[in-house]
Amino acid sequence: MAINKKTLEYLAELSRIDLDNKNEEKDLKDIQEILNYFEELKEVDTENITDISIQNLKNIFREDDSETSLRNLDMKKREKLINQFIEKEKGFLKIPPVFE
Amino acid sequence: MDLNNLTIKSFHKSFINKDFSILEITKSFLSSIKEKDKKIGAYLSLMEESALSQAEKVDVDLAKGGELGILSGVPLAIKDNILIDGFPATAASKILENYIAVYDATVIKKLKKSGVIFLGKTNMDEFAMGSSTENSAFKITKNPFDLERVPGGSSGGSVAAVAAEIALAALGSDTGGSIRQPAGFCGMVGLKPTYGAVSRYGLIAMGSSLDQIGPITKTVEDAAILFKEISGKDNFDSTSINFEYKEELLNPKLENIKKLKIGIPKEYFSGGLDKNVSLAIEEAIKILKSLKIEFKEINLPHTKYALSCYYIIMPAEVSSNLARFDGIRYGQNLNFKNQNLNLKDIYFKQRGGGFGPEVKRRIALGTFVLSSGYYDAYYAKAQKVRKLIKEDFDKAFSPLGGGVDVILAPVSPTTAFKIGEKTDDPLKMYLSDIFTIPANLAGLPAISIPVKNYQKIGKELPVGFQLIGKPFHEADILGIGQYYDKIKK
Repeated sequence: MAINKKTLEYLAELSRIDLDNKNEEKDLKDIQEILNYFEELKEVDTENITDISIQNLKNIFREDDSETSLRNLDMKKREKLINQFIEKEKGFLKIPPVFE
Repeated sequence: MDLNNLTIKSFHKSFINKDFSILEITKSFLSSIKEKDKKIGAYLSLMEESALSQAEKVDVDLAKGGELGILSGVPLAIKDNILIDGFPATAASKILENYIAVYDATVIKKLKKSGVIFLGKTNMDEFAMGSSTENSAFKITKNPFDLERVPGGSSGGSVAAVAAEIALAALGSDTGGSIRQPAGFCGMVGLKPTYGAVSRYGLIAMGSSLDQIGPITKTVEDAAILFKEISGKDNFDSTSINFEYKEELLNPKLENIKKLKIGIPKEYFSGGLDKNVSLAIEEAIKILKSLKIEFKEINLPHTKYALSCYYIIMPAEVSSNLARFDGIRYGQNLNFKNQNLNLKDIYFKQRGGGFGPEVKRRIALGTFVLSSGYYDAYYAKAQKVRKLIKEDFDKAFSPLGGGVDVILAPVSPTTAFKIGEKTDDPLKMYLSDIFTIPANLAGLPAISIPVKNYQKIGKELPVGFQLIGKPFHEADILGIGQYYDKIKK
């Protein structure tokens, strides 16, 4: 599988990351080399494996009464958390509009 | 107070004998950090004030005649991806540079109950991605055995702190070898527990199906003590499992240890091993044979594919786990309003500037292997191969197959490499995890044990060997290790 500049830019767009343009060629080369290494997996016969879950995992359910939700944090902790917000107003997180 | 060669066990004895107070010893550790850590660079942040007040509390408890546990007053270093309420948890990333944790990880909660002293948070590869601790956004950590060399990674800061005697023991996390490989490079003991044995609640997630928190110590006995304390079922981590570890974990009986059969997988020894590593492993095997433990050659035929398999599955999990870091609630201090940024711009700027090159590479790789059109060829294929790798181990452990109880392998193909030696070639860096990855893919417990007592003078670089056990059979690998410690040179 050959990966090109366009694919790399698309991946950056999907994962919301500003790419450093000056390193693009080296990034591309490194990722290409890693993908080439993965080629060895092709030689493994996995035809008979249909289930790809690794362990016998079971869902674990509980009541929906989260003990750690923000609402249950004591005021001091709540304050500590809100203080870290880059922009805030009246104890709320402030962000630019989601829909413009 | 001489901090060198103290173990948790000997520390406890001296403390109970009143050879020192916890306040005294904590002060000694803190001043020793100030003196030595300029050279080593193990710590990202210190917890001086809280360490001293915790220490006073333990002393008061002793004076009151309160019952003190084996970990009372033990000064520990904690990897910076494990949350301690009220203290930074940066995971060595710029995107978390200003983040202060508002709750305790479950392991921290448990250790607080045991009365340990937290000295500080240690350096690591950013978000635990790396094998040398060179991917930290903040500093380079040096190997105490040779300051021109890396301590290994990603738990390099934790391991270097213990090796440099500026922490008595430490916690690290291991996704593909991040406890065992640096332990091997620095002559320390490092245990990656069975997947599910230790709660991951409060550990900044990297690869959720692979991550485990584990102890880094000077002796195998100390690793057993610390492991016992942090393990157990936790309602906040639904992958944690209720397993009762017995007394055998701390006090193994030689007669039982002698009954264990050790498998040597020939795939781990077929070339690619440095000469000094293979000679050291041979020495370890010779010492174990003197305990009259039976050895047997076994096959793990899919070993070769573990690296590819891991470097597909882990980045896939990374790409989704790290999606939560949007740079909105905490992150680099960008002034959104003045720059007239919209929401999407903020994501791009925060993530682009906040993540280092290796993290970005893995997010890109993970996004790629999960993307439509490539999912089957990469991600699904890797999960299938993972199954085959797990089955190899199942067969080796089954009485109908190899019939062994424990598997012995190298930890890494080389000893500690030079700082900067592999930073330009990610694939070369990835290859240093080749022997540690399979235990994570299969969820098995594995320990790295130094072949001998390495001296920091003389520049002989440490070599570790690895023991891999059956799920929840930490007692087997810790048991063999405890007897190995008693007779090693």
